[in-house]
Amino acid sequence: MTDAAPARKSRPGWSRATLLAHAFTVLFLLAWWGYSKIVPAYQLPGPWLVAQRIVTFLRDPDEMRELGLSVVHVGVAIAIAFGLGCALAALAHWVRPFRLLIDGRLTPFLNAFSGIGWLFLGILWFGLDSFTVIFAVTLILLPFTIINVRTGLQEIDSDLLELGRSLSRNRFRSAVKIVIPLLVPYLFAALRNSFGVSWKVVLTAELFGGNAGVGYLLNVARQQFDTETIFAIIAFILIFVACAEIVVFRPIQRALDRRYARG
Amino acid sequence: MADATKSARDRLLQHLIAEGAIVAALLAWWAASRSLPVYVLPPPQTVARAMLRFVTDPQIAYHALVSFARVIASVAVATMVGLAIAAAVRAAPVLDAVVERRILTFLNSFPSVGWAILGVVWFKISTPTVLFIQTAIILPFCIINILAGFRQIDRDLDELGASLTRSPLRRFFKLTLPLIAPFLMAGIRIAYGICWKIALVSELFGASSGIGYLLMRAQSTSDAAMVFGCCLVIVAIYTATDHLILKPLAARFSVNQGLTS
Repeated sequence: MTDAAPARKSRPGWSRATLLAHAFTVLFLLAWWGYSKIVPAYQLPGPWLVAQRIVTFLRDPDEMRELGLSVVHVGVAIAIAFGLGCALAALAHWVRPFRLLIDGRLTPFLNAFSGIGWLFLGILWFGLDSFTVIFAVTLILLPFTIINVRTGLQEIDSDLLELGRSLSRNRFRSAVKIVIPLLVPYLFAALRNSFGVSWKVVLTAELFGGNAGVGYLLNVARQQFDTETIFAIIAFILIFVACAEIVVFRPIQRALDRRYARG
Repeated sequence: MADATKSARDRLLQHLIAEGAIVAALLAWWAASRSLPVYVLPPPQTVARAMLRFVTDPQIAYHALVSFARVIASVAVATMVGLAIAAAVRAAPVLDAVVERRILTFLNSFPSVGWAILGVVWFKISTPTVLFIQTAIILPFCIINILAGFRQIDRDLDELGASLTRSPLRRFFKLTLPLIAPFLMAGIRIAYGICWKIALVSELFGASSGIGYLLMRAQSTSDAAMVFGCCLVIVAIYTATDHLILKPLAARFSVNQGLTS
C-alpha cells in the first residue's frame, strides 16, 4: 500500500458523474414513455398515467389506510425480529452451552427456510390476516438479524473488553458502556438490512396471505388487469424505499462510518 | 490437560443441547400433531413420507429438478450481467454514479412480487418468465459484490498486467477474474440463497412446474403434508448444495486471495 487512492472530491456544482446520473434518469423516463406509445396500455402504461395514479392514490383515504397497514406490518415484523435476533445472538455469545444450538442448528435452518414456505405455513395455521403477514416477514428477517448481531459480538475487540473489566467489575455496567456502543454499527446494519428485505417481501406476504395492506391492493389490481394501479403501487414503493434509504439510512451510515473509522 | 478435558466437556454439552433440542422439537411436533387436524399440523412421519416422494415419485422429482435448473440458470445470468455492468464501471469510472445511485437504488427498492406480476403481464406463463423474475430479484446482490471486487483490485497490478500482455481478454481471465473471485463467489452464494428463499415466488405466478408451483397446488388442495414437505426439501437442497459446493469453493478462492495480497 503506497499512497491511498484520493477520496472522490465533492466539487461544488454538478460533477460529470452526477450529470450523467441525471441524464440516465431522463433517458430512462424517455425510453419508458416512448415504449409505452408502442405497446398497449395494459402491458405498459406511460409515466404520466402512472404519476397521475400515484396522486389519486395519495388522495384516497382508503388506499392510504392500506399503506398505513403495510407500514404497521413492516414495523412490527422488524421490531420482533430485531428483539428476538438480538436475544438469540446474545444467548449464543454469553451462554456457551447454547452456542452450537443457535449457531450450528437454528440459524442455518432459519437461513435455509424459504420465505414462501413461512408464508404458506402461516396461512395454514392462522388463516388470511395480518398475523400471517407479520409471522412470515418476521421469520424471513430473523436469520439476517441473528447473523449481523452475532458477527458484531464476535468482532468486538477482546482487549477492549478486558480494559472494561479492569475499569469496572460490574458486568452490567461494562455491557452498557462498552459492548452496546461497539455493537451500534452492527445493530444499525441489521436494521437497515431488515428494512430493505421487509419491503421486498411484505407485498408478497400481503398478496397471498393478507386481507389488508398494499399487497392486497396489488392483488385486486392484478385480478382486474389494472396495470396502471400495479405500476403506481410499485413506483410508489420504489420511491418510498429509496427515499428512506437516502434520507434516513445513508446519513446515519456516514455518521457511523466517521465515528467508528479505525484510524 | 485440564483445559483440554474442560473444552471437550464443553463441546459435549453443546452437542447434547443442540441435538437434544432437535429431538425435543420433533417430539413436541409429534405430540402436538396428535391433537390437531392433519391439515393444520401433519405428524412428522406423514411429512417424511411426502419428502420421500421427491425421491421416489418421478413426477414430483421432476418439479424439484426444474426448480434447481432454473435457480442455476438465473444465478448464471445474473452473474454475467453483474460482471458486464461492473466491468463497464471499471472501464469508465464516470458511470459509477449511474450504477450506484440509479440502477442499484432502483433494483434494490423494487418489490420482488412486482417483478413477478410484471413478468407474467409481459411474457405470459413460461420458463423464460421465471428466469426473468428470478434474475431481476437477485441481480442487485450480484452487482454489489462484483463492484466491491473490482474496487479492491490494486491499480499497480492492473498496470503490471497491461505491461505483460496486450490482449484484454487474456488480462481478464488471468488477472482480473482471479482477483475478484472471492467477491464473485460471495455474490453467487448470496444470490443462490435468495433465489431459493425469495425468488421462488416467481414459480407461484409464472410457471406450471417447479417446487413453487407444487407448493401452490398443495396449498390450494389443503395438502399440509406436501406444504411441509416442499419447505423441508428446499431446506435440504439449499443446505446440501451450499455446504458441499459453494462453501468449499468460497473457502478455496478466499485462501488464494490471502496469498496474493
